[in-house]
Amino acid sequence: MSAAAIELRGVTVRYPGTDRAAVEDVSLEVAPGELVVLLGPSGCGKSTLLRTVNRLVQLESGSVSVDGRDVSSFDPVELRRGIGYAIQAVGLFAHMTVAQNVAVVPSLLGWPRADIAARIDELLALVGLDPARYRNRRPRELSGGEAQRVGVARAIAARPRVLLMDEPFGAVDALVRASLQRELARIVAELATTTLFVTHDFDEALKLADRIVVMHGGRIEQAAAPDDLVERPATAYVRELVHAGDDVYRRYYEHVRETLARN
Amino acid sequence: MQYGLTHSGKIAALAAAHVEIVVAALVVALAIAVPLGVYAARRPHLSAWVLGALGALYTIPSLALLAVLVEFLGLGFAPIFVALVAYAQFMLARNVVAGINGVDPAQVDAARGLGMSPREVLMRVEFPQALPVVVGGVRVAAIASIAIATLGGYVGGSGLGVLIFNGLTLHQPEMIVAGSVAASALAVVADGLLRLAERRARAAMD
Amino acid sequence: MTVSRARALALLAGAPLLSACGSRGSRVVVASKNFTESFVIAEIYAQALERAGMRVERRFNLGSTEIVLAAMQRGDVDCYPEYTGTALIDVLHMPPMQDPHALYATVAREFEKRYALTWLQPSPMNDSQGLATTKAVAARERIATLSQLAPIAARLRLATIQEFLSRPDGLPGLQRVYGGFDFRDVRTYDIALKYEALVSGRADIATAFTTDGAIATDDLVVLRDDRHLWPPYNVAPVVRAATLARLPHFVPVLDGVSPRITDRAAQQMNAAVESRHQDPADVAAAFLRNDRP
Repeated sequence: MSAAAIELRGVTVRYPGTDRAAVEDVSLEVAPGELVVLLGPSGCGKSTLLRTVNRLVQLESGSVSVDGRDVSSFDPVELRRGIGYAIQAVGLFAHMTVAQNVAVVPSLLGWPRADIAARIDELLALVGLDPARYRNRRPRELSGGEAQRVGVARAIAARPRVLLMDEPFGAVDALVRASLQRELARIVAELATTTLFVTHDFDEALKLADRIVVMHGGRIEQAAAPDDLVERPATAYVRELVHAGDDVYRRYYEHVRETLARN
Repeated sequence: MQYGLTHSGKIAALAAAHVEIVVAALVVALAIAVPLGVYAARRPHLSAWVLGALGALYTIPSLALLAVLVEFLGLGFAPIFVALVAYAQFMLARNVVAGINGVDPAQVDAARGLGMSPREVLMRVEFPQALPVVVGGVRVAAIASIAIATLGGYVGGSGLGVLIFNGLTLHQPEMIVAGSVAASALAVVADGLLRLAERRARAAMD
Repeated sequence: MTVSRARALALLAGAPLLSACGSRGSRVVVASKNFTESFVIAEIYAQALERAGMRVERRFNLGSTEIVLAAMQRGDVDCYPEYTGTALIDVLHMPPMQDPHALYATVAREFEKRYALTWLQPSPMNDSQGLATTKAVAARERIATLSQLAPIAARLRLATIQEFLSRPDGLPGLQRVYGGFDFRDVRTYDIALKYEALVSGRADIATAFTTDGAIATDDLVVLRDDRHLWPPYNVAPVVRAATLARLPHFVPVLDGVSPRITDRAAQQMNAAVESRHQDPADVAAAFLRNDRP
């Protein structure tokens, strides 16, 4: 399954009852297979922007297209079944087992039962969970990191061409997060899915992104590859972001090391 | 207790009639309260009005409501049935609303985002998780209904209330006691069964 | 739950409703008011009809004459026992009459005309108001009628219920029609305790309904209303004309039973239910079994 391109043109989103737009006139192109990180503080509009792609959020103006086709021309339910979705709170269905959770989208799509069973095992292994041990567990019995992994498995279960992730590793401790980030980078590279990834963590952005889109107050400050962002910050805000803390160079070199390890 | 032994057949028949009317009323009440509750749960501004109106209905003294219903529906089964359905609405709808609203919003968001239609979200995520709360509401409604259904004895209906009201008229306290004890026993059994159901529903959840 | 299960449950719920609205066939509804005697007589009617092969549904213990009449006119109820005196005064709002036959003819005619309800044959029993006393007191004071009691009431004690003191045909009526009746002592009691006061000697005279069970149980004497203050209250089955058209053999069945309900029979049956706590159904069955064709 080939990855899809995402195109956002002049997207504006305003929540009813607020004066300021949550997202203001944002345009962005994501190439097939690219992992783009939406980075910014809370309230900058990054999650809102993410959710315009699978139509969980309505546009006031502008358009969003996947592979050249406007998302508003799809049936929203069908659209979402083709787009992976993982959120910070994970939202694993408490009344279902791990296997049933992961199987949600394939079963909605009507996959044959045998195919679903095989896919579940494949996915659990992919996210580093032993299928035999985890298949029949309940979400309640999982640790934070295990739940996040199941969430990722669930998101990519039906081999979506687009993957949307909203701070999926936000709720776990730093060590677990680091390991999950590595796993995700590996998975995404393997699957070559087009991925939009939201975070407020600059380090995470540096580690994962092909391109970083810095957002502030509903607008894009800068969209660039990590190197370019760090070496040539385009606005005062980005400059402040990059230079926050004293060890910017350490981080930069760390990033270079990671990049080398990945390729 | 002597009366209970010598008239066990009659008491059993009246108890069966009592159960029949309560169950019938609860089923119909649920059929109304569930869609109503789902509708109200999705609209927070409206739910306050809906629950408020049902709550007001609930405060009408049952005998007064029954008298009005007898005017329109005559004696016997019909007015009691309608009264039971009306009173049960409050407890049932309230619990449906609470149950649906109590579902983890992250799970609802994930469900929508993964591509469940609104109906699928309701049937596959919200209902299963709201079930323990709804069953709790059924339990409360059942016990209240068993009590209110005794008024059937006052309006020419059937059920254990017949024993109680006849006993009052005929100055036979044994009848009153028999009817009251039987009704209480029904309530205890209903409570026990539904608590069990509630626990099973909760266990299925986690 | 699956759709089919939901449907099954809905049918189960609806079944009692459906059966309630179902066709009548040979089903009749017999009602009673909310006092013992009404229960017993209604039960006698109901069992007589059942023995004749009809299916009878009982709606007993209804709160008042108005409720029963409303139910009759709506068709919820087919038949119930009513008193001629009650019908005349409380339903038709006509002035009291003394002659039991003329009274019966009047209420029968008016009920047919106004409500399409038919009165069947009345029973001899007369559940009217009265004053009762023990045989001992009656012998000691040498009284058998109210006229005889009126002047000597000044040295006697009355046990009564609150209502009697204010009803126009209660104590005021007695005083108006007979003069006298200025009791030495008047006490009100709960309806159940009134006779106890009489029997235990705390009162000499008690107000009564002439078919009260206590009269049989305590072997009391009812003083004769020789100036006819109180109209007769004979009981008879009142039936919807429409029901009679549908089930004409109603008439001989109930007409066969009514003549046997005498004052004495009524007192004994009331006593059986109220003092010996027997089931009205058993008492009525026993009454019907003593049937000699």
